[in-house]
Amino acid sequence: MKKVILFVALLSTFAAQAQNIKFIEYDLPNGLHVILHEDHSTPIVAVTVLYHVGSKNEQVGRTGMAHFFEHLLFEGSDNIGRGEYAKYVENAGGGLNANTTQDRTFYYDLMPSNQLELGLWLESERMLHAKVENKGIETQREVVKEEKRMRYDNQPYGNLLPEALKHAYKKHPYAWSPIGSMEDLNAAKDEDFVNFYKTFYVPNNAVLSIAGDMNVEETKKLIAKYFSDIPKGTNAIPRPTVKEEINTGEVRDTIYGKDELAMIVQAYHIPAQGTPEFYAVDMLNTLLSNGESSRLNKSMVDEQQLSLYCGAFTFNLEDPGLTLAFGLTNMGVDPKTLEDGMNKEFDKVKEELISEKEFEKLRNQVESTFVSGNSTVAGIAESLANYHTYYGNANLINTDIERYMKVTREDMMAAARKYYTPENRVVLYFLNDPKLSAN
Amino acid sequence: MKLIYTLFAALLVSTAIAQPSKKITPKATPLDRSIVPQPGPAPKIQIGKATSFTLQNGMKVIVVENHKLPNVTYSLSLNLTPIAEGNKAGYISIAGDLLSAGTTTKSKGQIDEAIDFIGGSLSTSASSVSGSCLSKHSETLLALMQDVLLHPSFPIEELEKTRKQMISGLTSEKTDPNAVSDKIGNVVRYGARHPYGEFMTESTLSNITREDLMGYYQTYFSPLVATLVVVGDVTPEQAKTSANKYFGEWTGNVVPARTYPAPAELKANQVAFVAMPGAVQSVIDVTYAVSLNITSSDYLAATVLNNILGGSGFQTRLMQNLREDKAYTYGAYSSMSPDDVIGNFSAGASVRNDVSDSAIVQLLFEMDRLCTEAVSAETLKSAKSIMSGAFARRLENAGTVAQFAYNISKYNLPADYYETYLERLNAITAEDVQAAAKKYLKANNCYISVVGNKDILEKLKPFSKNGEVMQFNTDGSVSKGIIPPAAGVTAATVVEAYYAANGGKDKFKKVKSLKQEGKLKVGGASINIETLTLDNQMLRVEMTMGPMKVSTQIFDGTKLFAQSMGKDQPTEEKDILKAKMEADFFLRDHMADFGYSLNLAGSIMRNEKEVYMLETLDAKKKVVKTEYFDKASGQLISTLSVEEGPEGSVTSETNIKEFMTVDGMTFPKTMQLNAGGQLLDITMEKITINGKVSKKAFKVD
Repeated sequence: MKKVILFVALLSTFAAQAQNIKFIEYDLPNGLHVILHEDHSTPIVAVTVLYHVGSKNEQVGRTGMAHFFEHLLFEGSDNIGRGEYAKYVENAGGGLNANTTQDRTFYYDLMPSNQLELGLWLESERMLHAKVENKGIETQREVVKEEKRMRYDNQPYGNLLPEALKHAYKKHPYAWSPIGSMEDLNAAKDEDFVNFYKTFYVPNNAVLSIAGDMNVEETKKLIAKYFSDIPKGTNAIPRPTVKEEINTGEVRDTIYGKDELAMIVQAYHIPAQGTPEFYAVDMLNTLLSNGESSRLNKSMVDEQQLSLYCGAFTFNLEDPGLTLAFGLTNMGVDPKTLEDGMNKEFDKVKEELISEKEFEKLRNQVESTFVSGNSTVAGIAESLANYHTYYGNANLINTDIERYMKVTREDMMAAARKYYTPENRVVLYFLNDPKLSAN
Repeated sequence: MKLIYTLFAALLVSTAIAQPSKKITPKATPLDRSIVPQPGPAPKIQIGKATSFTLQNGMKVIVVENHKLPNVTYSLSLNLTPIAEGNKAGYISIAGDLLSAGTTTKSKGQIDEAIDFIGGSLSTSASSVSGSCLSKHSETLLALMQDVLLHPSFPIEELEKTRKQMISGLTSEKTDPNAVSDKIGNVVRYGARHPYGEFMTESTLSNITREDLMGYYQTYFSPLVATLVVVGDVTPEQAKTSANKYFGEWTGNVVPARTYPAPAELKANQVAFVAMPGAVQSVIDVTYAVSLNITSSDYLAATVLNNILGGSGFQTRLMQNLREDKAYTYGAYSSMSPDDVIGNFSAGASVRNDVSDSAIVQLLFEMDRLCTEAVSAETLKSAKSIMSGAFARRLENAGTVAQFAYNISKYNLPADYYETYLERLNAITAEDVQAAAKKYLKANNCYISVVGNKDILEKLKPFSKNGEVMQFNTDGSVSKGIIPPAAGVTAATVVEAYYAANGGKDKFKKVKSLKQEGKLKVGGASINIETLTLDNQMLRVEMTMGPMKVSTQIFDGTKLFAQSMGKDQPTEEKDILKAKMEADFFLRDHMADFGYSLNLAGSIMRNEKEVYMLETLDAKKKVVKTEYFDKASGQLISTLSVEEGPEGSVTSETNIKEFMTVDGMTFPKTMQLNAGGQLLDITMEKITINGKVSKKAFKVD
């Protein structure tokens, strides 16, 4: 009984503390989902479009397409000359960029509020008839290769995430990273790009999310003006249905590179985001990794000094994702000793219920992160679009915290026992190959 | 809400957009998509209000109230001039880290637990203590901040832990090409003795003691140089009460300030190269130090200039040229960073190996182009639009308003400095930009730092004057390469600086006799050593071990007597010459008298110091001795000499580790001599100047 009262009391605290983000949403006849959030505190407006396409929608032999499109769709349109897209935005005093994940591609223009219409025109041009032409393809192919060299090949432990994904997923397209393979990009023909565009870059596969200094009614009219004549896509939108099995046995591998300190990566399969078990796993990772007093940091870095950096993080994806645990060894530490130490912490959450006091800390941390999360209009626009796309409920921007607060200590222990097992993980050792370190 | 500006409108109407806006059309008529929408009326740019006051102890407080989110940030920062750490590089940053690693009443674990319990954050550095949390937990956070600020205990075990982690971190950093590039950039721009150029190594980290940390804290943590910035869900009244309650009792002393000479300007381009094993890209950085700070009259023009060259966004010259046109890189950028001591310019990109040289050509070309050609009206307008847009967007963060108030206070700027920003920006002309380019863009006087595959080295040589490339290791140490001396620096100026560093030539001229007594340790043995010189002409060196005379050398100005283990040694003409030279303190002023000459080869890194290399050449111009003079202090710190012996040449190296001062003159106190692999440690214990010395002591029969 006492617990229930405490729970209610906590909930009311959140109601008092959390920002209530008001928004409206609707669909255009062509299937474009629109979300609008009005906020006049700064004279800027975020015009964003989320396309529900990421690397998991790619075919074997054509990986890297979604990310490549992120680049290509700045090249121009029937009405925007090559290279002028950014010019329009920047000359209007705006900023722009885009990013691609396994699940979606997200474009944003952060405009002065009097340039809202320009932002809508630009995004509608991108959706209706972007330039998918040889000159742009050839240039961006080289640029993307440089991006891959910079972010992966020429970075310390740059192959860490691609290797973890490759080992963790045997069937699901999460096996490859959004950057994809350069051989695939080289092999892709111009018509492959055109088909990809026609299939995925359609209003019925997109969310137009706008937040900031604008008037909802006027904005709705402008949206109708620029987006209502964009035809609905006619191709079926392929989405992977394959399910990766869990608990199929531990996968172990060693990867040699030029980095001198050994790094351990563990990848555990976790439940799909949005499920009650997912929230329990996410809270477990907060317990293990959030803050200096978190369990992995305290034991591995602070007390035993086995590691320079140690933590476990939720890599949440639309389909079931992973918990990725990292341990960078301190000098002179045998990686096996560190791995054993990390495993002890994983075992502890399976064997012992966490204390009331530690649980309270955890809930305070979750609350603080959630409440402080939506501090910019660009961030709000993106969160609304994500919540709509993955959960079909944009209002989770206000209420997702309740799902975290429903998690009990027992739920966390149960989730740990189910998912944090040796059979459910990949263990990779990233070790130094002295030959590669030599000049 | 102080200010309303409509200048935005003037700036944001792009020249590319000429057609009038079309009204919303009825659905029946298809939209003419070729019409570019026109902007509505310019929005008002409003800079929020900051409240400032000073506590009785001298600490300044700036408060920006913003209730959008129920959280609050308290950032206390110290306004300090940088400090050169020398052979203890790293101690200042460890002192900062350890502030939150234990107080007189709390362990690190207890502090961590307390801050995490409220879901807050707390971080400390050598010049700051900052924390944030939900506003309902403010009192807990402030009490913790007070504790770490006023009662840090610098636990020895935390120092050891951090030391080990930092040494491990150095290993880890060596494979990160960007981290290596940053380090080398600092070393070449400022020199390894400048606080911005020096860096920690395993050896400097090993030298750090707990006393160093406490000394730093006691000297520099003072409310007289502190500003507390409070941003968020708090009223100025609440903030004032809190500031007094938690920080009002804090006291401290006047903090010493320092100045540093500006690094010498390069006379020609100089390539600095680091071979990164297995690199598939080159991290290129064209860089040099610039005298630029926020109060410089052309600071804004320089910022516009940088925005056109490679500041941010996709339209800059570097981005258009190196990415969009040539596809050499994912991104090419430049920065013009103002600084209170010395600023820097940097332009670069990460490019694939085989276009490294082409990319450097383009980087230099774009820098040069801005000096020789005035920018077009369209380019200038575009840069201004980008900057004014970025200015407006920054205001979304309440911390920006606090930053503005902080800068106004720190630099004594006009109160309306930021309110007039857009107006001042709009007034910048193409001539202003070109003038700034001529002053700040030095395509012919720059360091070109490249961290990349060893295979590209040959292609980089042509970018350096005389094809010489300074080469560094991935840990920042010099592997090869001598920097040619700057104009005006000669062998004579280095020697003069050496005399000055030791107390001045005039003082030494008054030295008639000089007696130095000490101990020489070799293997397990300890030998007493005594040297005596008179009138810069006579010399006597005696070594004894207990009652036993190990060796004696007496030179009376013309004749030389040498004895070793009781046996007389033959002396040759060259031994006499050597003794003559050793007796003469002012030897370097008249090398020619002895048949030698001096040559200043340039500067190099040695013993983690930037040093001048002064070579002694014989008549055949062969280097017989190299002396290393610390560039910063002028002091001689190391000597390398080559002697021809019966079994070929033997190199010996002397490193001076400590100095002692007697009567205002400085002498080596401890030295280590490495003679062909044998190590001798010498410690001078007593130095007597102009003591009673009889000429009889130098009698040679």
